[in-house]
Amino acid sequence: MAIQVSGITKRFGAYKALDAVDLEVRSGELLALLGPSGSGKTTLLRIMAGLESPDSGSLQLNGEEALGLKPRDRQVGFVFQHYALFRHMTVFDNVAFGLNVRPRGQRFGSAEIKRRVTELLELVQLGHFADRYPAQLSGGQRQRVALARALAIEPKVLLLDEPFGALDAKVRKELRRWLRKLHDDIHITSVFVTHDQEEALELADRVVVMSQGRIEQIGSPADVYDHPSSAFVYEFLGQVNRFDCTVENGVAQIGNGALSIATDHAVRGAAIAYVRPHDLGVSPAVGGPGRVSGIHVVGPDARVEIELAGLSLEAEMDRERLTALGIATGDRCAVHIDRARVFAR
Amino acid sequence: MPADRSAAALRDPAWMRGLLIATALAFLALFLLLPLVAVFAEALRRGVAAYWAALVEEDAVAAIKLTLIVAVFSVPANLVFGVAASWCVAKFDFRGKNLLITLIDLPFSVSPVISGLIYVLLFGLNGLMGPFLKAQGIQIIFAVPGLVLATIFVTFPFVARELIPLMQEQGSEEEEAALVLGASGWQTFWRVTLPNIKWGLLYGVLLCNARAMGEFGAVSVVSGHIRGYTNTMPLHVEILYNEYNFVAAFAVASVLAMLALVTLVAKTVLEWRFGAELAATRHK
Repeated sequence: MAIQVSGITKRFGAYKALDAVDLEVRSGELLALLGPSGSGKTTLLRIMAGLESPDSGSLQLNGEEALGLKPRDRQVGFVFQHYALFRHMTVFDNVAFGLNVRPRGQRFGSAEIKRRVTELLELVQLGHFADRYPAQLSGGQRQRVALARALAIEPKVLLLDEPFGALDAKVRKELRRWLRKLHDDIHITSVFVTHDQEEALELADRVVVMSQGRIEQIGSPADVYDHPSSAFVYEFLGQVNRFDCTVENGVAQIGNGALSIATDHAVRGAAIAYVRPHDLGVSPAVGGPGRVSGIHVVGPDARVEIELAGLSLEAEMDRERLTALGIATGDRCAVHIDRARVFAR
Repeated sequence: MPADRSAAALRDPAWMRGLLIATALAFLALFLLLPLVAVFAEALRRGVAAYWAALVEEDAVAAIKLTLIVAVFSVPANLVFGVAASWCVAKFDFRGKNLLITLIDLPFSVSPVISGLIYVLLFGLNGLMGPFLKAQGIQIIFAVPGLVLATIFVTFPFVARELIPLMQEQGSEEEEAALVLGASGWQTFWRVTLPNIKWGLLYGVLLCNARAMGEFGAVSVVSGHIRGYTNTMPLHVEILYNEYNFVAAFAVASVLAMLALVTLVAKTVLEWRFGAELAATRHK
């Protein structure tokens, strides 16, 4: 089912959570709403579910206006950040809830409900946990129960609010892959909210970057990472070196000419240049302009801090490359920029 | 054994522990146990027959009945109000929320006598609504409605106070989940909200009931002390005591004391149940 969001605005008192947002969610895709806290992404998701109502704008589910519909009539599955499992019910009863509260006449018999719930618990690999209570499960297991419960009502859309936010790093990664696989299997239109750019880039078909109640950019993960449309997106997606510079005749001068970058963008005058740490090359050079001020090795990667003409830069490379370069803290070095992006101030 | 030694270091010396425990027990015996024993001893001083006679005497039976009637009206009223108020406070944000919380606490901070007096000033013959009520032939003060109203006022906070922190801690995500899953408002309340608060609610109702039956001050002001008509048990005890009818006074008092004991036991059982459940839900 496709979702069409048009001109949705939502205020909380004087605070504008969403500012005339337009967005199309394509049928069957896995879409990420990515942004820092306060960017409005969760509010947008809750509006889609009917848990919040916008001040103006329209929301269409499968081409039909849905703002007047109650949450129960929208056929959406919602997964909460903190699971929101019914604490006094077993895992089985949690998953069966949506089927049990259906009006008489639309409700399945208890044998059919049991069959469906058992099937869903198998799907989320929790077949043996049907009689447990939520308090007896780990975070990852609870989130899978929450997912099974949301899927039980056969929703047309799955909405997930920071689904991995409360989990530790390892479980988060596993569950992320598992969710991607699940989505590939059942192809349900899904929207998930996250503030973790790695999560969004790895998991989503398309990423929507939000900031201060507005959409900054929509595109495929590679698209938004390689071609950020604004300084905000560039800074938000991954590590970045940020320099003040002046652009003249297509060349950006950084640190009074200590570094210069060719730019083909139509920018003139005062500007900001962004360089990703892995686009910054370092080579040992006796009497070079830069000085290695620190080296941090994190697993297979190495981060090299450099001081150059009063600027501090960060370069990233793998450990083998670092060993091959043979640089150490305190050495002089030369710096070259493989790729940069310049935005007008 | 280093482990034992470090544990010993954290423990107070034996004489200190003994002294503290003895002090606490002596205090409890002097101020709680002794009076309780005295009530029953006094009541049974002239034998079981006299005790029983004092309880089945006409006015005593009327007082017991009236106390039950007052509780039957005021406890459910505060149950409904308490759940509604805590729902409002815990699940919604609105202007005047703090004012509402303060108002709920008001009966705790106001002297019960004043609480009774408020109703006399409102509904009494010379009160604000007195002439209107008289014209309609409705009597509130010095009658059962006044007793019920005063008791409701005094026992107002018990259920709400118990539920507000509980519901605030639980938040409203489970209710939202139920709504998205297709439950109606009623289904959400009965299947999700109520089961989550049931032990706290029962606990609040128990305390509310104990106070409703034991209330003296507020009820005393609005009652008029008409024997057999507007005397609740605590008021009846006072009248008997003032008439130097000690056996009868203590006999009725012993019924109240037994009520307190039953409440205490029920409360302990609930705390035990409720505590385990809370610990289970809090275990993350």
